[in-house]
Amino acid sequence: MANTSFFEEMAERNAATSTTGLCSICKGSRKLCGKDRCPLMIKFYSQQKTMPLLDVKDLVGCSPPAVFVGRYGYPKVDIGPLVPPEFGDTSILDTPERWSGKSIEDIVDMRFRLVRGKYRIDATNFKTAGKIVNNIQELALTEKPVEVEANFRQRPSGRVILDDEVQPFGPSARMDDMKMGNGRFERNLEKNFYDTDLRATEAVVNAYKNGTLISEIQKAFSVGTMGVDKRRRFVPTRWSITAIDDIIGKDLLKDTKYFPTIDDYRVYQWEQLDNRWCIIMMPCTWRYELIEAWYPNTTWNPTGQDIDIISDHEFYEGRSEYAHIGGCYYAARMASNELLLKERRTAGVLVWREAHPGYVMPVGVWNVRENVRQALETKCAHYDSLEGALAHIDRVMDIKQDTWIKNSGVLKDWLIQRRIEDYY
Amino acid sequence: MFKAEIKSETLKGLVSIISTLIDEVKFTVNSDGMSLKAVDPAHVAMIELNIGAKAFESYSATETEIGVDLDKVKSVIKLAGPGETIIMEQDEGQGRLVFKIGNITRRMNLIDTSCMNDPKVPQLTLSANIGILVDQLQKGIRAAESISDHIALKADSEGFELSCEGDTDFASLRVEKAALESLKADSKVCSLYPLEYFSNLIKAIPSGTIVNIELDDDYPVKLVFKLANGESTVSYFLAPRIESD
Repeated sequence: MANTSFFEEMAERNAATSTTGLCSICKGSRKLCGKDRCPLMIKFYSQQKTMPLLDVKDLVGCSPPAVFVGRYGYPKVDIGPLVPPEFGDTSILDTPERWSGKSIEDIVDMRFRLVRGKYRIDATNFKTAGKIVNNIQELALTEKPVEVEANFRQRPSGRVILDDEVQPFGPSARMDDMKMGNGRFERNLEKNFYDTDLRATEAVVNAYKNGTLISEIQKAFSVGTMGVDKRRRFVPTRWSITAIDDIIGKDLLKDTKYFPTIDDYRVYQWEQLDNRWCIIMMPCTWRYELIEAWYPNTTWNPTGQDIDIISDHEFYEGRSEYAHIGGCYYAARMASNELLLKERRTAGVLVWREAHPGYVMPVGVWNVRENVRQALETKCAHYDSLEGALAHIDRVMDIKQDTWIKNSGVLKDWLIQRRIEDYY
Repeated sequence: MFKAEIKSETLKGLVSIISTLIDEVKFTVNSDGMSLKAVDPAHVAMIELNIGAKAFESYSATETEIGVDLDKVKSVIKLAGPGETIIMEQDEGQGRLVFKIGNITRRMNLIDTSCMNDPKVPQLTLSANIGILVDQLQKGIRAAESISDHIALKADSEGFELSCEGDTDFASLRVEKAALESLKADSKVCSLYPLEYFSNLIKAIPSGTIVNIELDDDYPVKLVFKLANGESTVSYFLAPRIESD
């Protein structure tokens, strides 16, 4: 009996997803939507595992620690902790830096266990909002998992939240109160918290240079624990992720731009979560580009018949408009500059990504950041000419060089615009 | 050793031309004057500048190199009022450049020039040669902006043309031979250039200056003009865009 009602409940919760009408015929077995695996089934299996544990109004567990700041209705936004119904070392649940190598199922499974408490505040004027705000700030600064008790107004509900920038997470509920244990603050973030004269960009860069993980900095950044006292505010998680990537990327560029160029053309390749990556580095001054090719039936091209290609680029002076690709652009830019700084070199960087049909769900910008980092740790192929590098692309990518060049602002410029040294 | 006095307007004119390309530069100094060769970071444009000793109010120097950050020099120029004289002196012991404007003293650390190599200057023989008042070019640039990111420079035996063609719009400036200062073009020549570089430079040239344009088919353009009452010569090279199929 209990089982049937559970299934009904699940079906109801996921009702909105099956709009094509095909799902009821397919029932997750025939792949009628054309996707590699059924996204409904992936969600269902992870819900099945954790749902019974979440069927409570008071949830106690060890938060990894994790917080979430919503963006709808900004500056009146919902903030709150992410709490799993379990104890012990849960830190991996909110540390994307440790997720590479995991399958989409693993990631959804982990994230669905995190229940989000919601408490509405004014993001720009949070100091009057009381104890919960202080608790959330403390939680974001804490280094190790910490016990949290959340008192919800009703039982948590809702589907797994999927977003291209934010890591997925589980059900949510309005929260009336929360209690939390004591934990030690992360050293660098604590310093930033108490320094009310330090500007937020400098705080971010200091923490990064002293070895704090990007995901930790982002959490602290989103809950208004950095910056000049009067200008502190809560920043929606989605925005804060991009802000951190942008701030750190720009700071790295301040150095890398002036280093000598690399010596030849390099190609790095990498594959993960059915995303195929190729990173070309050219021996020239800084210019950068991210091109993403979405196959039909992948997350952001669900109904198309053709491959969707989007690209954004910048030259030496950088860009002033927001990249229309979004956060991924800044994440990949930061990751490639990490390598350039390590080698004390500069280069023109082209990041090309093919999202193949197996990439059925968005898992967040970390996917781009961590995969570019990993790709750049592999041994690269060296070529004397751009032709050699592009021939490499033809060998490993499905999309051929002509299509890439057509969509590449940097390469178009490189091939059309002559340079002074061509005329010596 | 380097010590010179210069009118603030003259210094401003020189700095604004160089800083369209690059911020950190190395001047080679000798007893006759200062010179500079620099390419922009993307290696698309190049500037060669010679400032004769007569461009200064007073000038005395022996052979040396001075590396400066032009952004800082700009902030120094802002300290000077119109017509004021700026005194520059190299402090060799400390590796500094000292500016004196009236009763203000401003010291700045020089940039290490040991790793700044002078770029080679391309040796070009370009068939067309046009002398034109910069005000004409500035008018043409204003018409071309926001249409496309590149412009075409054309010359034939009848005149000179600057045009810009975008996806939907078109603009051009045609100057007949009579309105030009000089024209030498045996055949028709045409090349494409990046608009941003060209317009940044043209806008920085003071009005009334005569610019000498050397042009050829799908070749760099060479712009030659004088600054500082004719005592300083600028040669500017800009590499073309070549649309191949």
